[in-house]
Amino acid sequence: MRPMKSMFHQSHRSVPSLNVASMPDLIFTVLFFFMIVTHMRSDEVKVRLQVPQGVEVQKLANKQAVVNIYIGREGSRWAVQLNGDIVNPNDIPAHIEHIRGGLSAENQARLTVSLRVDRKAPMGLVSEVKRNLQQAYALKINYSATEIKK
Amino acid sequence: MFRKRYRQQIPELNTTSTADISFMLLIFFLVTSSMDTEKGLLRQMAPPPLEHEQPKDINRNNVMQVKLDANNQLTCDGKVVTYRQLTEEVRSLAFVNRTGHVVSIQADPATTYEAYFQMQDAIVSAYHDLREEYAKKHYGHSYAACTNDEKTALNEYYPQRISESPIQEGGAQ
Repeated sequence: MRPMKSMFHQSHRSVPSLNVASMPDLIFTVLFFFMIVTHMRSDEVKVRLQVPQGVEVQKLANKQAVVNIYIGREGSRWAVQLNGDIVNPNDIPAHIEHIRGGLSAENQARLTVSLRVDRKAPMGLVSEVKRNLQQAYALKINYSATEIKK
Repeated sequence: MFRKRYRQQIPELNTTSTADISFMLLIFFLVTSSMDTEKGLLRQMAPPPLEHEQPKDINRNNVMQVKLDANNQLTCDGKVVTYRQLTEEVRSLAFVNRTGHVVSIQADPATTYEAYFQMQDAIVSAYHDLREEYAKKHYGHSYAACTNDEKTALNEYYPQRISESPIQEGGAQ
């Protein structure tokens, strides 16, 4: 009788549940990774601009030694913004000097100015900014653009 | 009676939702952080001119004058050209006279930046083509696949000779 019964009687062993206690830790690790890797843009862009598109663009390396200059519309007039605040083009050399003072010697030599200029901006203003950069010996410039494939 | 109460187990905190919360944080960061990879045309400007600097003489035949006027019209040595044609012109000039040619750029203050940028892009594209061709012929692979030494060698072989300072035309001397 006994063996017969065991044939029909199903055992009540349940599937052991998976231990998910370490799952939050894993996700937190991914979260921290992203927080460190992504570069949060520090300055708020106060001017409105749209950069042109180009074919021959390259990636800009070394973000520590980059000064951003934005040229775009602020209301109805054209304005120049250096890193965080709107400046007069003639004050650029002084600002560059100030920024350069806070950099390491290695980065001072690598200092690059990234020009993010609106498509419709007049070259007169851009040339003025460039002339001022030249005066400040910030000779490496980058015409920021978005990439298009040929 | 008291002893019995102390022996009771502390109930475990239910942490199942911690994963969901951290997932939400992760997604929030992914969405808000702009993964902006800065891209652009890298250029090196000339140092500011010294006061007592003498202008250098260049042979007129080696100079290509690229101009943009107030209506965004592109001209190359007086001829109206498109950006594609400009690439071809610069290419042939740099191919014939690798180290002696000069591409002189002049843009009217009223030109838009878009036109200026496209012009720069077209000129750089010409040099890129030449370097690409040379790399394929001598190293057997494209410019992008070159080592840093090879790239430096290529950049020196086909230097970008672009001048933005005004050029004065003098008489024959």
